[in-house]
Order: sequence, then structure tokens, then C-alpha cells
Amino acid sequence: MARIRLTPDLSTMIEFAGVGSSVVRQTRRGGGGRKHALRRMAGEFQNETEWILRDITTSVGVGESVALIALPDDGREELLRLAAGTLIPDTGIVRRKDFVVPFVGVVPALDRSYTFRQNIYIIGGLLGMTPSEVESKVDRIADEADVDGRLDKYLGNARPIVRQKLAWAICMAVETRAYAIEQLLVVGDGEFREHCWQQVEQKRADGVTFLVSSDNDDDLLRFCDRAIVLGNGSVIAETTVEDGVALRKEMAPTSKRKKEKARIEEDEEGEYEDL
Amino acid sequence: MLRMLVLRDLQKTYTKLRLGYLWTLLEPLGMSIVLWLVFSVLLSRHIGQQPYALFITIAILPWWWFTKGVAQSTRSFKRNTNALRISLLPTEIWVLRVVLVSMIEFFFSLPIILVAMIFTRTIPGPLIIFYPVAVLAQFLLMYGLGLLVASGVAIIPDLDRIVRICMRALFYLSPVLYSITKIPDHVQPFAAINPLVGILGLYRIGFWTEEIETPWHYAVSFVVVFLVIGAGLFVFKKLEPRILKGV
Repeated sequence: MARIRLTPDLSTMIEFAGVGSSVVRQTRRGGGGRKHALRRMAGEFQNETEWILRDITTSVGVGESVALIALPDDGREELLRLAAGTLIPDTGIVRRKDFVVPFVGVVPALDRSYTFRQNIYIIGGLLGMTPSEVESKVDRIADEADVDGRLDKYLGNARPIVRQKLAWAICMAVETRAYAIEQLLVVGDGEFREHCWQQVEQKRADGVTFLVSSDNDDDLLRFCDRAIVLGNGSVIAETTVEDGVALRKEMAPTSKRKKEKARIEEDEEGEYEDL
Repeated sequence: MLRMLVLRDLQKTYTKLRLGYLWTLLEPLGMSIVLWLVFSVLLSRHIGQQPYALFITIAILPWWWFTKGVAQSTRSFKRNTNALRISLLPTEIWVLRVVLVSMIEFFFSLPIILVAMIFTRTIPGPLIIFYPVAVLAQFLLMYGLGLLVASGVAIIPDLDRIVRICMRALFYLSPVLYSITKIPDHVQPFAAINPLVGILGLYRIGFWTEEIETPWHYAVSFVVVFLVIGAGLFVFKKLEPRILKGV
């Protein structure tokens, strides 16, 4: 039943063995030739398999903070999701010692039609907390995210910064041994950033593993022990963070994939109506 | 966690609409009244058991649950894209949630049967004890079908339209409007393949013992229910990587 299997006797925290992930993209049938002319006119789609990640074999040790360095859309989000288990690899296997909490796309998962409190419960639950665990932590989370005054108000159009803080506070409240973080190692402004730093440093001192991907080189330099550099879907180097950052600067920004964030809008209303 | 998701869903539907709970009653009630008018008063055909008003109400409620649940299952992964991306929980819970929510709404609508019983002055016999069995069987069937269609969307994007047509066809192919005992003998064996035949029969035998006439219908229906749930779990396991990729 459970999607995520743990291997508690693993010597490292997360282990990738020959991991590959592909997407099937539909493109309009193009090209010349008489053979497919009719199909082209009909606007038929052609399936194209694109390998985003190919044969990744690497590991993240217990208590390490690893920077995942890659150009945007070069498979880093996929790798983080694979690490957490919210994506299943097409080839190879990912083993993990303990649950890896994904901080990838938590902010969009906050639901505006729920109250702050309900959001804390739901997101906390999705990230692996039990309801009673959330119950005991809800006040602390609210306090941290600075929303304790409006816990029972609807999230509605809360400012992005508030959402980020809330998502961050929920994530950090999960008792886990590992995080996979995209971009938002620290969130918020001035004071809150400092608070974030304290918290993640504290967690790192406690032996929590971090796999971080960020465009902010300074953050990575400050926080991470070593770097895994991805290029064109495979590991091109495992070096120090300094070298990794330098490598990224060299890489030409060949953004192969366009951001396709056109999420299918939620159709809340007007379903079924059958009979 | 699942309980929480279900409660939130219910809360959402019942606080958003002005008449809230009343709609759960009014929708199937209206449907029953229309069908009763057409088939009993206007056409005066005896396609079901008497009293026909009660006969149809009893089947309409589970049918309502069935269509609603299955139709929403097709969208259950798409609608929860954002949550699925971060969820460490089993993926199946999104389908289970939809089925459970529609089941609870079905329970809420049960008072309509009481109304129909009072209206027609009928009381059920001892076989009404099969009612919960029918509920359980339908739940299993819907979970299987829900998994099947929800994962099917990953390979066939327009599946929800196909499902809608199938549902409509199934409405007439299932003994909602008529009794299975009233169809010609030579099509009886084919009718039994439809698991709803057995399930709807179980809902009804508390009131009309004639519905037991063909016990093998129930056996066939139960076998099909288990086949469906097996197929659902199998297909879902096969397609799970693609479902997660699509979100």
C-alpha cells in the first residue's frame, strides 16, 4: 500500500542507483513528406520521450548537507522529488533510510479555501505528521509563521511571503532526518531569514541531512558541505561547493524545457450532473 | 489523515451552498419524483415492484452515489495535483477520499427512503439486514472502479467523457427503473455480469422478497466486484509512476 519504502539499515541517507526519469511530451506532428501529410493536417500529436535524468548513481550521507547544482529545468526538481519519493523512477532504484521531507512545491499546495489551521493540518499530514502530532505543534507553527492571530481565517489571498513562511514553518516542524529543498532554504525577509538560518543550522547540527537546490550561490556556499553538479540530466561532477558554483557559471544557459507550469485549473464546480 | 480530508471536503460543500444539506435530499428526491411520475403515473407500466415510488427511490440513492463517486474519481488526481506533489502518503487515498465523501453524502440522503416509506405506507421485512452488505459491496466496487478510471486518465486524457457516456448507458442497463425479474429470460445471464444487478437487488430484497428469485445473480455480482477491485489495484500499481509524473 505505502508508496515509500524505507531501508533502515542503509549506510547512507539517500542512495540513487542508476536512476533515470523520462517524460513523454506531445508535439505536433511536423516535418515534410507525403506520408504523414494528412495526419499533420489533422493536427495529430506525436509522442516523444525525453529523458530528464539518465543513470544517476550517487548518494547522500547521513548528516550531510549537499548542494544540488544545476541550471533551472535541468532535472534538479525531478531529482529532489525522486529523493523524497513523490516521483517514481523509470529505471534504477532510490533507497532511503528515513522519510525525506520534500520542500518542493509546498507553497502552491496551500489551499486558499481552507483556513490557516486547516492548511497546517493538511500539509503537515501530507508531509508525514500524524494528526495528533500536528495538534501539539499547531500553535508553535502559527507562532513561527506569524499567523497566530488569524488561525481560523481563510487563507484566501494571503501575501506570498505569508504563504512561504507558513509552508516553511510546517516543513520545519516535521520530525524528520532528511529534507529535500528546492530554492527556499530560507524564506521571508530580514529578521525571518535570520530565524530560518538559525533553525536550519540547528537542524544540521542535530544531524539532519539536507539536499538543497538553489539559485542563490551564497546560500549554498554558506550552508552546504559538498556539491553534486547535474548537467543534461546526468551527474557531471561531485566536488566542493565552490567548484560546483563555478561550474554552474560556466554552463551555458541552454534551457531545453520551457516552463510548463500551466496547471490544469481546478474544476471545483459543475462535475457529474449525470443521469 | 484520510478522515481529515473527508471532513474538510464535506465541510466545504455544506458551507458553500445556501441550502447546504437540503440539496443532498432535494437532488435525488426530485429525480425520484420525476421518474415515478413518468413511469408510474403517465405510462402506467409495471416494470418494477409495487409501490413503484419506493421501488425507484431505493435504487436512485445508491445510483446517485455511484455516478457521483465514479465521475469524481476520474478527476481525483488532477484536482489534487499540488497536494500529490508533496504527499508522502499512499496515492490511493485521493480516490478513497472521493468514494468516501460520496458515500457519506449517500448516508445523509437516506432519510428520503423513510419519507418514501411513510408516503407509500410500506415497512421492510427481516431481509433488510442485507442493506449494509449492499453498501459494503458497492463501496468495494466503487473503489475498484475509481482506481481504474483515475489511473486510466493518465493514458487516456478524455476518459472522463467516456466515463460519463458509460454511466448514462449503465443507468438504463442496470435495474434502477425496472426489476431484474421483469426482463426476458434469455437475456438474464448477460444482465448478471453487471455487478449493480446484485447490489441493487440486495438493497431491495428487504422490501420485495421476489428479488431473491435468482440467487445466482448475487454470486455473479460479487465475483465481478472482486474482479473489478483486483483489476483496479493492478492497473493503478502499473500506472502509478505515470500518474505521479503527470502532476
